[in-house]
Amino acid sequence: MMRLVCIWLAAVVGLSSVTSAFAAPKDTLVLAIGGEPENGFDPIAGWGSYGNPLFQSTLLRRDVNLETVPDLARTWTLSDDHKVWTIKLRNDVRFSSGEPLTAEDVAFTFTSARKSANALDLSVMDKAEALDPYTVRITLHKPWITFVEAFYTLGIVPARAYGPDYGRHPVGSGPYKFVSWTEGEQLIVAQNADYYGDKSPFEKITFLFTGADSGLAAAHAGAVDMVATPAQLADSVPKGFRAVPVQTVDNRGISLPFTKPQQINGRTVGNAVTSDPAIRKAMNLGLDRKLIVDVALHGHGTPAFGPADGLPWSGQSDHVAFDPQGAKALLEQAGWTPGTDGIRAKDGLRAAFPINYPASDATRQALAETAAELLRPLGIEATPRGASWEAIGHVMNSEPVLFGFGSHSPYQLYSLFAAKLAGVEYMNPSFYSNPQVEALFEQAQSAPGLAASMPYWSEAADHYGVKGDNAWAWLVNFDHVYLVNACLDLGKTQIEPHGHGWPITATIANWRWTCE
Amino acid sequence: MKSQTLFLVARRLLRLCALIVAVAFAVFVLLKASPFDPVNAYLGPAIAHVGPEQKMQIASIWGLDRPLYEQFLRWAGNLLTGNLGYSITYNTAVSEVIGSRIATSLILTGLAWLCSGILGFGLGLIAAAWEGHAIDRIIRLYCYILAATPTFWLGMLMLALFSVRLGWTPICCAGPIGVPADDVSFLQRIHHLILPLTALTLFGVAQIALHSRAKLIEVLQSDFIILARAQGATRADIILRHGVRNAALPALTVLFATIGEIFGGAILAEQVFAWPGLGRATVEAGIRGDVALLLAIAMLTTLIVSTGNMIADMLYRVVDPRLKERR
Repeated sequence: MMRLVCIWLAAVVGLSSVTSAFAAPKDTLVLAIGGEPENGFDPIAGWGSYGNPLFQSTLLRRDVNLETVPDLARTWTLSDDHKVWTIKLRNDVRFSSGEPLTAEDVAFTFTSARKSANALDLSVMDKAEALDPYTVRITLHKPWITFVEAFYTLGIVPARAYGPDYGRHPVGSGPYKFVSWTEGEQLIVAQNADYYGDKSPFEKITFLFTGADSGLAAAHAGAVDMVATPAQLADSVPKGFRAVPVQTVDNRGISLPFTKPQQINGRTVGNAVTSDPAIRKAMNLGLDRKLIVDVALHGHGTPAFGPADGLPWSGQSDHVAFDPQGAKALLEQAGWTPGTDGIRAKDGLRAAFPINYPASDATRQALAETAAELLRPLGIEATPRGASWEAIGHVMNSEPVLFGFGSHSPYQLYSLFAAKLAGVEYMNPSFYSNPQVEALFEQAQSAPGLAASMPYWSEAADHYGVKGDNAWAWLVNFDHVYLVNACLDLGKTQIEPHGHGWPITATIANWRWTCE
Repeated sequence: MKSQTLFLVARRLLRLCALIVAVAFAVFVLLKASPFDPVNAYLGPAIAHVGPEQKMQIASIWGLDRPLYEQFLRWAGNLLTGNLGYSITYNTAVSEVIGSRIATSLILTGLAWLCSGILGFGLGLIAAAWEGHAIDRIIRLYCYILAATPTFWLGMLMLALFSVRLGWTPICCAGPIGVPADDVSFLQRIHHLILPLTALTLFGVAQIALHSRAKLIEVLQSDFIILARAQGATRADIILRHGVRNAALPALTVLFATIGEIFGGAILAEQVFAWPGLGRATVEAGIRGDVALLLAIAMLTTLIVSTGNMIADMLYRVVDPRLKERR
C-alpha cells in the first residue's frame, strides 16, 4: 500500500515538472471570459452581434470612446432619400486564406444575413450589390438609420469559402485566425499575419470555456491571465491579479406590463396593477437603487434609470431621486390605500404581482428579491418567482419580469418601446405604446445619419422614461469585473454592452504585457 | 451443457432488449412531459425571426403534432436504422458527438472502475484479515467517510488542494490549456487523467472494500477455515487459498453493480474537472434541452450498465461451479 502511494506521488511530482515547461513565454494569453457561441463562429448565424467577431472584420468599428472609425470601409455615404448606402472598401485586405476581400464578399455576406434568421435587423434591406471590386451599394426599402448597426457587427465572410461548415472553421480578415475549438473546453486562435490593422502583441490566445468557477480556480492556480467574474465573487482577487471593473450598459430592470388585461392574438397581455401609472411611478420613486447595487451586486454596479444610461441616445434628464415619502403620497392620492397587512388595494384590487426571473441566474434572483423587499414598505407586494425562460415566455406579456438588456445601438430603444414590435419574442414584452414615442422613432429612423438621429432618440426618453410613462423600473447597470494578471495592461476599455466577457476583446490591439 | 449455456445467454439478451425498449419509452415520455419545447430548443437564438406558422411547420415535419405512441415508434424506427438524430448542443449528428466522446469517457470510467475494484478488494481483504485491529478500524473509518462523500465535492477539494494550492495537477480538461486536442502528448494525457481518475476511484473503493470485508469475515468463521487453521495453515495461506476465492464472488457482484454508480459519478466528476466526455455532454444536453442527445446517452448508459450486470451473472458461474450445477 505504502509503496503504491509512493509511486503515485512520484508520478504526480514527475509529471508536474512536465507542465511547468509550458508556463507561458509571454506572447500568448489564456482568457477565461466565456462567450462560447452556440452556433459556431458564423456571423451570418449571429456570431459577433454582441461584441467583437475577432476572426472577421466589419465595415466600421467603434473605438474605446465608442466613436465610429472605419474598418473595411474607406467611405460610407447615404443617398439624399436616405435609402441607398454606397460603401467604398479598402483594397489591401486579404482573408487569412490568402484570397483578397472584395465587394463581392461584402454583398454576399449582407445578402445571406438578410435571408438567415439571426439577431440583426436587416429586414429593411432590399438588396446588396457589388458595383466594382471595391464598391458596394446597399438599397433599403425605406429610410432606416439603425441599419448602420450591421456595419459594426456583421463580420464579412468569404463568398467562395462559405458553406454549412463555416461556423466550425471560420475564415476571415480579422486580427486573429482560427486554430482549434473543443466545445465546452477551449478555443485557440493565432494572430493573422496579413491583418491590415493595428497588431496586438499577443501571438496566440486561448479562450477557456469551462465555466466561471473553473475559470476562477484556474486564475488562482495561475493558469489563466484574465477571468470574467460575477459580482458576488469579485472580491476574492487571486495573488498576482487585480480587479478591473469596466463600466457597462449591461442593465437589469423590471418590465411592467403597460396595458389593462386583455387578449391579443390568443395571448394574455397586460396587468391590472402595473397598468396603473401611479404604481409604475411609485416604484421608480420608491426603489433605493443604490441599496440594490450594494446588496445584490456587492457594490459592483451603478443605479440605472433607463436602458442606455450614459450613451448619446439616452434621455438627458431621465433619472429621479430616491423619494419613498413621495412614492407613498402618490399611491395614497391615486386611491391605493393600505390594508390590514400593509399591502395597498384599490377598488378591491391588491397591489400585488410576481417578479419573474430565470432560475438559473443567481444575480437576477438577488435583484428580484432585493427589489421585492424594498417594495413592501411602499405597500406593494412583489413575489420573486424563478422559472425557466420557456416558462417566462408564457407570462412575460402579463407579469413583470427581471430582464437584462444593453447594446451599443439605439435600436435597443426601438426594440423595447416600439409598438410594432410588441410581443415579438423578447422585444417590447410589456406592450408599451405611446404615439409621441412612435413619432420620434420615425423621425430618428429617417434621419440623414446616426449622429443626426440622436436628438430624437434622446427626446423619446421624456415620454417612456421616469419623467413620463415610467414604462419600466430599471434597477442597475452592472460593472463587469475582470480579474486580470497584474502584468497585463488592458488600456482604456469601452462601455460594455450586455454580455460579460467577450466584448472586452474589442480593444485587444491596445493590450500590453508590462512585465519581463 | 453447452446448449444450456447458449440458452441462458439468449434469454439474457432478450431480457436486455426488453429492458432497453422499456427504458427508451420511459425516457421518451419523461422528456415529452418536461417543459422543453424541442422546436424552440432546436431554433436557439434564431427563434427571434421565426414566426408561429413556421414553428408549426417544423413541428409537423418532425411529427410533433402526432399522438405520443406514434412519435415514439417513429423515433424508435429511426434509431433502428442507425439514425440517432441531430444534437442541437454540438451542431452535429448525435452519433458523432457520442463517437468523439465515448473514448475519453471510457478511459476515465473504465480505469476508475478497475482501480476501485482492485484497491477495494485489497483493502477489504486486509481489513478482514486483521478484523478488529487498528488497521481494520482505519480502513473502515476511511470507507465510511468516503461512502458518505459526494464525488463532486471530493473532486472540488482535490482541485483546490492539488491543482490550485500545490500546482501539481492541471486545473481542467483532457489536455493542456492552449494545445489543440490533436497535439496532446501521451504523457500530458496521463497527467490530466490523474486527478479525475483518483476522485472517481476513491468514490468506488469504499463500497467494494466494505462488501469484501464483510464477506471474508463470514468465510473466515466457517468450519473449513477452522479446520485449516487447526491443521496449522498461516493467516496468509488461509486468506489467499480460501478467502480470496470465496470473497471474490460478492466482490464481483458489487463491482459490476457499481458500473452504474461510476457512470453517475463520472457525470459529476467530468463537470468538476471539465473532462470532455459523455458526462459533460449529458449535463450540457440537459441544460439546453437537447432531446436527441439525452435519449441516446440514456440508451447507451442502460446498455452498458445492464451488460455489466449480465457479465456479472455469467462470471458467477465461472467463479462458483456450484451455481452451474444448480441451474
